[in-house]
Amino acid sequence: MAEIKDFNCTYDNSVGISKEVTAGLSLTFPDAYMHADTMAVLAKALKAHDGADFCGLPFCHTVEAEAMGGSINFGNDKAGPRAKEYIYTSPEELLELPEIDFTKGRVYETLLACQILKKQGEQVVLEVSGPFTILNVLIDARHVFKAVRKKPELMKEVFWKLGKELQRYVKEAEKYGVEMISYADSSGGVNILGPKTAEQVVSDFTYEFLKELEEAAGEGTLILLCPKTTFALLGTGKAELKEIELPGPMRYGEACIYMKGRIHFAGQMCIKNINYRLENGRFKALVLK
Amino acid sequence: MSVKEELLKRLSDGVVNMEEDDVAEAAQEYLEAGYPAFDGIMKGLIDGMNRAGQLYEEEEYFVTDVLLCSDAMYAGLDVLRPCLPDEEDKAKRKGVIGVVEGDTHDIGKNLVKIMMETAGFDMIDLGRDVPLQKFVDTAREEGAELICMSTLMTTTMGGMETVIHLLEENGLRDKVKVMIGGGPISQRYADKIGADGYSQNAVEAVKLAKRLLDIA
Repeated sequence: MAEIKDFNCTYDNSVGISKEVTAGLSLTFPDAYMHADTMAVLAKALKAHDGADFCGLPFCHTVEAEAMGGSINFGNDKAGPRAKEYIYTSPEELLELPEIDFTKGRVYETLLACQILKKQGEQVVLEVSGPFTILNVLIDARHVFKAVRKKPELMKEVFWKLGKELQRYVKEAEKYGVEMISYADSSGGVNILGPKTAEQVVSDFTYEFLKELEEAAGEGTLILLCPKTTFALLGTGKAELKEIELPGPMRYGEACIYMKGRIHFAGQMCIKNINYRLENGRFKALVLK
Repeated sequence: MSVKEELLKRLSDGVVNMEEDDVAEAAQEYLEAGYPAFDGIMKGLIDGMNRAGQLYEEEEYFVTDVLLCSDAMYAGLDVLRPCLPDEEDKAKRKGVIGVVEGDTHDIGKNLVKIMMETAGFDMIDLGRDVPLQKFVDTAREEGAELICMSTLMTTTMGGMETVIHLLEENGLRDKVKVMIGGGPISQRYADKIGADGYSQNAVEAVKLAKRLLDIA
């Protein structure tokens, strides 16, 4: 059996929208979460508040699910958008999920916001969620977990349906100038799934999905993996780490920016761990086998 | 092994092995054989769920396993519970449980709820993204002795302290014990906001609840 280590999320880093970030911005909420121009303003405010090297968009993990019909509570100035009620009750229904229309709605506004920031000279990370996180908005997680165990073939199909949409999302984002994509699916971590199911998910989906994404994405695109995904790939022998010399010690975010166009995957640290420094001046790139 | 013991074992094993349909079938056979529903629940279903909890504590089972075991347990309960004499349900201690406003991560909360119910508590589940006043109102209306809150986000953990203040303002603080948990929560945080206890996982939550309410 695979030995997948868990990465414990820490909470000393960027936590997203809060009253401290939104105070004094003269924005109205939740409206500010829905339009490209205000999203760009918010992203810059969040970057300044966190002292980060890049702007991160969107501010929640509901954009993909909303674009597929999910019901969203758009939040306020204290807490960002989040899932409202579930719209599905059986995993079979998930096969009917619609394709994402990238020319409308919040997903479009998010892409536009990335473009605005890019034109303003900002480094932008588009945060893309994996299947478990997306499904969390659409259906009670217990139906998903149960189906993963009892109907693995069905869930494989569902994962790939979502995976194809995510690959299209990344390709679309590139058109808007996005060069850094983060990919995380912490709702499907080994701490929740257990080693056996986590291994199954890597072999049924994650590895091939990322392999295809690597081929589809442009040479200048860097995919920043959540360390939980990194550990899942390493633990199942689907990837290895390759050390690369940096010009000197620097923060992880800064190092990722430096690595654009040099490697395809990063994933040694959570991108929200803003102050994590690579003191030894060495970067660990992830190479898929 | 007597027929009753065999059926109890089938109920217990069915829960541990996550066999929802077999548990429901075994529960039906158990009732048709004329055995008391209470024993079927306690010595069959709850026994199985306790074994699952033990496996979870030993890291043999994970969150998904426990959720599936609980589905099997609830399938059995659906059959046996209607045949339970009324008085069997009355002595249960009540708790209110939910994920605080602003957060929708409810896997941990669901797990705590399951283990608390397994341990004999009557849990009123308010769900996720729960308005803070609702914890207090429900505790008052239901006469609950416990409020269990969880969150996975640092931005929403402050809501737990607000609930404690609301309990004080409503004159309920000395009547209700407050338990908290979730990713960013710690004993230190519980001490800081004046919660009665913190637990790291669902099994520990049951022990904490029993300790707080002086249940042997």
